[in-house]
Amino acid sequence: MASQIKLRQVDEYRWEIPREGKMRTRGLIFASQKMLPKIRDDQSLQQVANVATLPGIEGASLAMPDIHWGYGFPIGGVAAFNLEEGVVSPGGVGYDINCGVRLLRTHLQRAEVAPRIEELVNALFSNIPSGLGSRRKDLKLTVPTLHEVMRLGAGWAVKKGFGTKEDLAHIEAQGQIPGADPELVSEHAMDRGKDQLGTLGSGNHFVEVGYVLEIYDDQVAGALGLFKDQITVIVHTGSRGLGHQVCDDYIKVMLKAAQKYGIELPDRQLCCAPLSSPEGKQYLAAMAAAANFAFANRQMITHWVRESFEQVLQMGPKDLGLELIYDVAHNIAKIEEHLVNGKKKKVCVHRKGATRAFPPGHPETPAAYQKTGQPVLIPGDMGRYSFVLVGTEQALTETFGSTCHGAGREMSRHMALKTAKGRNIVRELAAQGIIVKGAGRATIDEEISEAYKDVESVVEVAHGARISRKVAKLKPLGVIKG
Amino acid sequence: MTAAFRGPRKAKYRQLSHTADLGLRIWGSTPEELFENAGEALTAVLTDRRRLRLRHIEEITVEAPDLEALLVAWLNHLLYLYDVDAFLGREFKVQGLSPQHLKALARGETYDPQRHESKTAVKAATYHHLEIANLNGGWQATVILDL
Repeated sequence: MASQIKLRQVDEYRWEIPREGKMRTRGLIFASQKMLPKIRDDQSLQQVANVATLPGIEGASLAMPDIHWGYGFPIGGVAAFNLEEGVVSPGGVGYDINCGVRLLRTHLQRAEVAPRIEELVNALFSNIPSGLGSRRKDLKLTVPTLHEVMRLGAGWAVKKGFGTKEDLAHIEAQGQIPGADPELVSEHAMDRGKDQLGTLGSGNHFVEVGYVLEIYDDQVAGALGLFKDQITVIVHTGSRGLGHQVCDDYIKVMLKAAQKYGIELPDRQLCCAPLSSPEGKQYLAAMAAAANFAFANRQMITHWVRESFEQVLQMGPKDLGLELIYDVAHNIAKIEEHLVNGKKKKVCVHRKGATRAFPPGHPETPAAYQKTGQPVLIPGDMGRYSFVLVGTEQALTETFGSTCHGAGREMSRHMALKTAKGRNIVRELAAQGIIVKGAGRATIDEEISEAYKDVESVVEVAHGARISRKVAKLKPLGVIKG
Repeated sequence: MTAAFRGPRKAKYRQLSHTADLGLRIWGSTPEELFENAGEALTAVLTDRRRLRLRHIEEITVEAPDLEALLVAWLNHLLYLYDVDAFLGREFKVQGLSPQHLKALARGETYDPQRHESKTAVKAATYHHLEIANLNGGWQATVILDL
């Protein structure tokens, strides 16, 4: 089916799906020639074309180089809609609302930490609940507290002593999406979230201790406080069951709304409502509440990361220097101002498995990064490496300030399990100097390196197309997986 | 996986490959059986179903605009119970089913990481490529899970 989709090469890194049939705009895919056969293999191109049929879409229906088959929107999909006729779609955000990544730097060198990595991984594993249905026994939130978390986001955690004000200045939207209305979040969603704040969950979520392997841009790396062989920590998780429930609740609302407003859907999972409708506004307010829960979640986990380092290395916060570089959301819809056909215009940008990549000088780029551009964090698989990039002017003009978000799976989980069969993945990684601890063997086997595209090939396209710029490459030393 | 070789009429379900996620194909001789088998198929993604004991019964009622949406609502309700009470059903009994309404019992127990295997976490059942069909007098459903 997907192979029937027409694709026209624009340049080395850009491919266009010409506007056809019910499409209201063209599709634009960022990829290299080498990636195409895999992309054509599944239905992700059809999904790019499907998104292009939705009302009020501005610019192209975009896909970042980590594009792969999702449900409704492709993973790696970016689409902006105007506020007048445009729509908002919970399927364009995903079930894990504000799934995202944060990166911490330290004052530590690789040589100091490497011998203690096993202890450190064990401490992280016991301090941060992870795995299937992970919950915190020590922290069960009441409804009023949950409401406060959903209103204040990471700021709630900081107010409670989990982190510093300085942290908030280094989070997308300062860790609080405006307009959150917890009253629009169902009881079911709150039931799921009440003991999941500060938990990692399962699947591809992780906390990773690594080090700076390579620096591509000394000046920018310096501004981000990065140096070679420095120890770093990445946290990757989202809004847990609370977010999943908000998405599910509002997909039901949107299935009805799409009918009510006469929106034709090529796939039910693309169900949506006009941004100007009550249903659309309610979803955005509930989504913001769930997104804030996710920001608070990563903030809490950061606190326990700091505690784990203090415990194991017997050092104080000043010596450790575990400071937040940045925290980005990669499953989100945001109202942003962009230049559309030469005019400043507010649009709702859906980023489904895509990262915001704002340039130097942009008002939403944090003060510390006004000269460098907003940091972009691209985690790879647990056996290879991750990347730090910065946003660019090109991204702002071409992709509504967006870039890739990760490696993207290349193998189904079945295939991954088959590939891992009879092998001891934990031992194989240990032999490469990477200590992995997970709640279940299945998760680790499903997440083997081979199951993912080489994140370097994804980043090369983003860098080559100038929708972001490479700064540094990080290599894992120790990972906790759900 | 052996179920796949027994042919669609006898097998209860089969897992389908999907790059990032996982599909389920479920069979039943009646819509009731289809929903019961769907419950088993979901539990089998999360853990080894055979290790669950029948210690607790959950009464479940869900509603949706049509039969396909009802299947998604049913599976997502089971995920909700798992998130909230760590409850996992091993056996399911449909007590009443219409295209908009389902009443069912789930028998199983609380997930215990010491006793039960942790397999793949599921975020939600989705509407993408969702399908229920009546084939040769039997019923077949396809549903894609977000992992």
